[in-house]
Amino acid sequence: MATRAGALSYLAWRALVAHPLRRLFRRRGTGLERFRAAYVAEGLGPTTPEDRAIGEAASACVACGLCELGCELAVAAPAVRALGLHAAFRLYSRSVAELPLATSALAACAGCDGCDALCPTGVPISRIVRHLRAKVLGEGAAPAQGDRG
Amino acid sequence: MVSPRAVAADVLVVGGGMAGAIAALAAREAGARVVLARRAPGATALSSGAIGVAPDPLALPGEPLRAAREPLEAARRLARLRPDHPYAVLGERLGALPEALAFAARVLAPLLAPPLERPRFLATPFGTAVPAALCQRSQAAGDLLAVDGALVVAGLRGHLGLDAALAAAGLERYRARGGPRAFAVEVDPGLGEVGLFRPHELARALEPPGAAEALGRAIRAALPAGAGAALVPPVLGLRPEARVPERVAAAAGIPVAELLADVPSVPGVRLQAALEAALAAAGVEVVQGALQGAGPGKPAMVGADEITAPRWVLATGRFVGGGVVRRGTLREPVLGLPVQAAEGREAGVDLAARPAASLTGAARSGPQPLLSAGLRVDALLRPLDGRGRPAADGLFAAGAVLGGHEQASDGTGLGVAILTGYLAGRAAARPGGGE
Repeated sequence: MATRAGALSYLAWRALVAHPLRRLFRRRGTGLERFRAAYVAEGLGPTTPEDRAIGEAASACVACGLCELGCELAVAAPAVRALGLHAAFRLYSRSVAELPLATSALAACAGCDGCDALCPTGVPISRIVRHLRAKVLGEGAAPAQGDRG
Repeated sequence: MVSPRAVAADVLVVGGGMAGAIAALAAREAGARVVLARRAPGATALSSGAIGVAPDPLALPGEPLRAAREPLEAARRLARLRPDHPYAVLGERLGALPEALAFAARVLAPLLAPPLERPRFLATPFGTAVPAALCQRSQAAGDLLAVDGALVVAGLRGHLGLDAALAAAGLERYRARGGPRAFAVEVDPGLGEVGLFRPHELARALEPPGAAEALGRAIRAALPAGAGAALVPPVLGLRPEARVPERVAAAAGIPVAELLADVPSVPGVRLQAALEAALAAAGVEVVQGALQGAGPGKPAMVGADEITAPRWVLATGRFVGGGVVRRGTLREPVLGLPVQAAEGREAGVDLAARPAASLTGAARSGPQPLLSAGLRVDALLRPLDGRGRPAADGLFAAGAVLGGHEQASDGTGLGVAILTGYLAGRAAARPGGGE
């Protein structure tokens, strides 16, 4: 009984005192700012229309692996081959929160655009990779060369 | 804005996989000027690189090595049992199958081994046997009925994607039915400390001088007594001119063959590359890009090229190649032709109006209308419109875009591509349109 009374009084304290006080004194901001404060740390940032378009384009990937034949990453960066650059948007098309797992692969992209012409389902791979790269590494992190969007 | 480059041709082939390439080569050989428009590699590049034409429909599932009929007889049996299959739709023209296979073997001669009277039985990484009417030179020594002695499945250390013990245990089941004894060994390809390899990386790494020889010596050192041939994962070089299989076999001292591949498939990529080399050698002009056009006789845009040809061969593939797309309902995106001809009880039903989700059946062994969706054609390979009449003058179709068969799983995909590509290409080369 003591446990139950303790729990109920704790809930009453939260509902009647702590929560109203927090609402009164919290930092205000726009809805977007509050959303970011709550969720970005968990990798669940807001989805822009651009993000949604990229996600839809990425979802046409059938994971056949043909693009990897034209990917210089395979030669240049042995340490990240286990994941592979193109796994980045396969991961991304399932869950935004998993995108940071592909950071090192995205960082290693040479931006050579060798992948685009190899995709049977017409996924605009280099455009997706550029977008995801900017997303994980911060804006302005586009590959040095081959930026012909 | 660059003004388009006008190209005139006798035949425009849309699609650059097996069906499109064979159609273009057949039309070229018949004297036509041919342009081939391709967007990207498709399902041919994802194939095992061996060419199944017609599994014997009367063979027992547990007795795969008995299904040793020659391709035409097996295809005729299949056609009798499956009236919607392209082999059946072609009627008497099915008789051109040996000629079409010989044509494919000839134009792909540097890559393909000469065909036998019977199919070769090639091993998969899962330890099953698959009949192939044509196969690559690098695969031929793995024919289960031709191995003289024990078959050694050699896994490569660091290779992702092959469990040699599993494959050998599976192949051992065929011993009582005429197959060889099978052993598994593991060898170190001697490629240093790079760690794990994906198939195409391993294939590239084996091409430089010394690498293939080192693998061959490692196989030789691991061979048990009585070994007659060694099977390795399908990674023996991306470029046939590097002669990796021959170099490995010479250093190993016994015949060495590749297993069939799962995707991503090095032999499939090699097959696609060989088709492209044959197109270049034959003088077929290949243009790259998605095609927009209204049909034969009218100009079609591909990238910066405007191509006009009185006869077209549509060889756009099915779901992977993009010849049939699912946008709510099933569509043929190039010319908007009706998508029909599901196999089995749904035959002839117009699928284009039905949601794609309603086109699958729960019974695993039953017909799956979705998987056989494609164009309906007459015996001359002319696509039919909704009323069963040829949809356009000078229009032919070939390969997986034809409906009526589950081309991804029924073992006839590349055989249909070769036969219909050959017939459509030859028909399109004639001004009369193949009557």
